[in-house]
Amino acid sequence: MIGNGSGKLTNEEVLRYSRHLIMPEVGRAGQERLKAARVLCVGTGGLGSPVALYLAAAGVGTLGVVDFDVVDSTNLQRQIIHTTADVGRPKVQSATEKIAAINPFVKVERYDTKLTSANALEIVREFDIVADGTDNFPTRYLVNDACVLTGKLNVYASIFRFEGQASVFAAENGPCYRCLYPEPPPPGMVPSCAEGGVLGILPGLLGVMQATEVIKLILGSGEPLIGRLLLVDALSMRFRELAIKKDPECPVCGVNATVKALIDYDQFCGVGRENAVETAKVPEIEPEELKRRLDSGEDILVLDVREPHEYEICNLGARLIPLGQLAERVGELDPTLEIVAHCKGGVRSAKAVELLRNLGFHRVSSLAGGILRWSEKVDSSIPKY
Amino acid sequence: MIRVVLPVHLRTLARVNGEVMVEVDGDATQRAVLDALEAKYPVLRGTIRDHGGGKRRPFVRFFACGQDLSHEPPDSRLPEAVRNAQEPFLVVGAIAGG
Repeated sequence: MIGNGSGKLTNEEVLRYSRHLIMPEVGRAGQERLKAARVLCVGTGGLGSPVALYLAAAGVGTLGVVDFDVVDSTNLQRQIIHTTADVGRPKVQSATEKIAAINPFVKVERYDTKLTSANALEIVREFDIVADGTDNFPTRYLVNDACVLTGKLNVYASIFRFEGQASVFAAENGPCYRCLYPEPPPPGMVPSCAEGGVLGILPGLLGVMQATEVIKLILGSGEPLIGRLLLVDALSMRFRELAIKKDPECPVCGVNATVKALIDYDQFCGVGRENAVETAKVPEIEPEELKRRLDSGEDILVLDVREPHEYEICNLGARLIPLGQLAERVGELDPTLEIVAHCKGGVRSAKAVELLRNLGFHRVSSLAGGILRWSEKVDSSIPKY
Repeated sequence: MIRVVLPVHLRTLARVNGEVMVEVDGDATQRAVLDALEAKYPVLRGTIRDHGGGKRRPFVRFFACGQDLSHEPPDSRLPEAVRNAQEPFLVVGAIAGG
């Protein structure tokens, strides 16, 4: 049983948690279980913020918070545990202060570090339940495998744009994340929130679901999301529940599991490979060089291959043809002209250059670092996003 | 007609909003629906099933009527509720944002 340690409540705590205590599903025994419980929040971002805040308010006795990042102004649209005054500060420090402000009875164990294959087992082992609030595939697989190998429940949610998924993985008879998705998508196929955006409220919805599942698991009440994948579409406000099963062939939790130790998850997810290849094999031009050549009157077509809504945020006055339309609209371009393609950071423009070269354009290059580097090196009036 | 729900990144790729409708000749099987989907939106080829053998990619799953059909034989008939468009055929993909 989770949270079966010493969680005796003081009179002050009895008053604080009175709305829990009067419910028979929680009661004094349940609240004492919450106090004795140890929950690890991996990430204090969009999902981790509501998870940590609600678990603290609910009286979970010990919260572990892991994050290596510092608060950035682009976080504040959704990461409600951090404030404007926290920009530039370590997230675990900011989160610890907010948890203490909400509930000084909660003990916080801070891990101002990146969760890696070298430290994950050691950290995860110290807790009863893990709430996965990470933001990338390698860490998702790392958290899953660490939970399976240490026998800890993995309360999972992930989000993208207006949609989210939630489940509870790694229960004894339930599926793990790898049973559902044995392999990650190739890098670049599924955009991250930084690339594709996310509705600020969405991690609130999903994070609160995670916190709810954590509380239920500690209390041993209700029906946990084990063996069920919940899909949330905030735009249509539609929730779908899907049955998922343990995969007997799963390499981590299956009957003949082959993964007995943590692996290199960046390598497993192919991180760094594709972008390096994409940008390495096409000619690039630095922003300062392009600026100098444009200023000297050279006839260069600057081609923006981002999406129209990105163009609206900021642009260089370039010709806009989104990468996805480039193949069918290539006839609009003069193959004798020199073309410099640009995007936000240089990856899509590298793909555009490769495509144009394959279609017979020879004088094409990619703006190194995209419009973000242009903003840094040439024109700071261009906003970063 | 069969209703198909795609993951958001594939809707972006196919430049569609909401559900997609596909026409299937003969039996509405998983394979027939995906063939019709890829014929209507060629850009989706290789994203749900691999280019070579047409095998479901490991970061994608198929569901209908709340049940996981991912390991069903591709030529088995889809549930009646999907065949008569009461329920959609769901293509669900891994996402990692947090």
